[in-house]
Amino acid sequence: MSSKSLTLRNISKRFGNVKALDNFNLEVGVGELVALLGPSGCGKTTALRVVAGLEHQDSGTVLVGEKNISDVPAHKRNMGMVFQAYSLFPNLTVEENVAFGLQMRKVSKHVRLKKAHELLDLVGLDSQSKRFTHQLSGGQQQRVALARALAFEPEILLLDEPLSALDAQVRVNLREEIRRLQLSLGTTTLFVTHDQEEAMAISDRVGVMNNGVLEQIDTPDALYNKPASSFVAGFVGTMNRIPAQITDGMVEIFGSKVVALKRGNESGKVHALIRPESISVVATTNQGNAKVLTRSFMGASSNIICQTEDGTIVQSLMTSSSTGDLHPGSSVQLRVLSSEVLVANV
Amino acid sequence: MAKGIKIKFHPPLAITLLILGFFVFIPMLSAFEYSIRTPLTGGYGWDHYLWAIREEDFFHYILRSMWLAGVTVLITLFVLVPTLTWLHLSNSKVRGLIDGLSLLPLVIPVVAFAVGAQISFPEFVQNTVLELPFLYFVLALPYAFRSLDIGLNSIPLKTITEAARSAGANWLRTITTIIVPVIRGSVMATIALTFALSLGEYTLTVLLHWDTFPTWVTYVAQENILGAIAISMMSLIIPFLILTIITLFVPERSTQGRK
Repeated sequence: MSSKSLTLRNISKRFGNVKALDNFNLEVGVGELVALLGPSGCGKTTALRVVAGLEHQDSGTVLVGEKNISDVPAHKRNMGMVFQAYSLFPNLTVEENVAFGLQMRKVSKHVRLKKAHELLDLVGLDSQSKRFTHQLSGGQQQRVALARALAFEPEILLLDEPLSALDAQVRVNLREEIRRLQLSLGTTTLFVTHDQEEAMAISDRVGVMNNGVLEQIDTPDALYNKPASSFVAGFVGTMNRIPAQITDGMVEIFGSKVVALKRGNESGKVHALIRPESISVVATTNQGNAKVLTRSFMGASSNIICQTEDGTIVQSLMTSSSTGDLHPGSSVQLRVLSSEVLVANV
Repeated sequence: MAKGIKIKFHPPLAITLLILGFFVFIPMLSAFEYSIRTPLTGGYGWDHYLWAIREEDFFHYILRSMWLAGVTVLITLFVLVPTLTWLHLSNSKVRGLIDGLSLLPLVIPVVAFAVGAQISFPEFVQNTVLELPFLYFVLALPYAFRSLDIGLNSIPLKTITEAARSAGANWLRTITTIIVPVIRGSVMATIALTFALSLGEYTLTVLLHWDTFPTWVTYVAQENILGAIAISMMSLIIPFLILTIITLFVPERSTQGRK
């Protein structure tokens, strides 16, 4: 079965007094991988569960391709799902787990086991097919869960924080594997995560959610460089918020004037939103405009935390080779590297 | 090299074995010893067992009790597994209420229960022996409920249920192919408890004027006490054998490492 597009229209869902989704809209194109990113309780998992049919929306429509599946029960939706917690069936072997979806679709044993082995081969676990799931590591279990979700060729693949229970190195490897498989099979995928690095690394587009609404959905590059709201700016990556004053469309930061990029009616006292890599820190023997608090070496780059004369904490990310003379307590000169900065009301 | 078996002295285990020995094993051994006595010769023999087997009612009543117990087991599993699964998944406040209600058969005297049933049940229900499995189900409820409850508590029920459903399993398939096999230990314990309780139930049966194996044994005891003991000893072995066969025939699948 070929992959289909996914559309959520005006979905609302409440749990008691809590509004988990508030007129939520989302479109995922055929073969696209879209991540939903946001803090705990923002509604991203609820959105995924509504798509899966594991929660029923209070109002709104879910479309797969042109077909309205809003009231279709979960087991008839033809969606593969990988869960955050290990969800393999402990009474079945690895190959039986992978073949389970095909068994439910009354595919013959020979065909479903052949398909299960193909999928296990794709995730590098064919040699483990006769084992029981408790004999596998966490990473292997999630690989099997991925194979199980893909074995019956779902129209949509749903990933509910599938990497969050894994070790750091396994997470990086598995996320690359998920992307490789998703691209090779062309499966439309909705991926929920609270880890922005994960979301940015493998997604075609990332949707940032807050309080049940989609604040912005865009490519990782656009999301990082052109955040549509103060929340997105603060949530995606690290952002310095430096107090400044708008005068004639310009803001003065660290003694230099730069163009203020407004998104609304920002005026007067504002916060200039500047990424750490857009701030340079230069050691000075004279009276600088800040002092170094800490320098964290991270290999190719170093993270420098400074404090300005007015007490503002400023973070800078620089190549390590240019930070050798920056020590805690050093007097430094901060400078904005970009000619224009986003501003937000205080 | 094989390790020698070391038996350590554990006071709680020793106390448990002592109580079991004193109140279960010694009386049973004594009953067995009594049942193989041959008073005429003053020795031992299998006369009473052979007499019991030759009694034509022996197989009639043991089979009747066994199929009634089997029906009770089916009712118990059909009613309780889906109900408890729903109670666990829904996190409903009703769960506490049902939990409390399931204990009621322990505190309601069986006599009151039987009289109540006779007064309230319509005639067509009282006319069929099939009223017994439903009443036995109620009597077994406190034990069956807890046994299944513990099993469902010990597995990640929500996750595996949702995984099964998203993979295409409807509720029936989810319960039969995933949930029941995963809590196999609890299901087997429920079957054993319900089967044994139904097979041995006497008071309710006799008060409702039905004849089953336990009521027949009591009747036999009036004319041949040694024969009745021999029958009772055999009635212990038969369900044990059946439960062992069930255990052997249900395929053993690994459910270790579940969270």
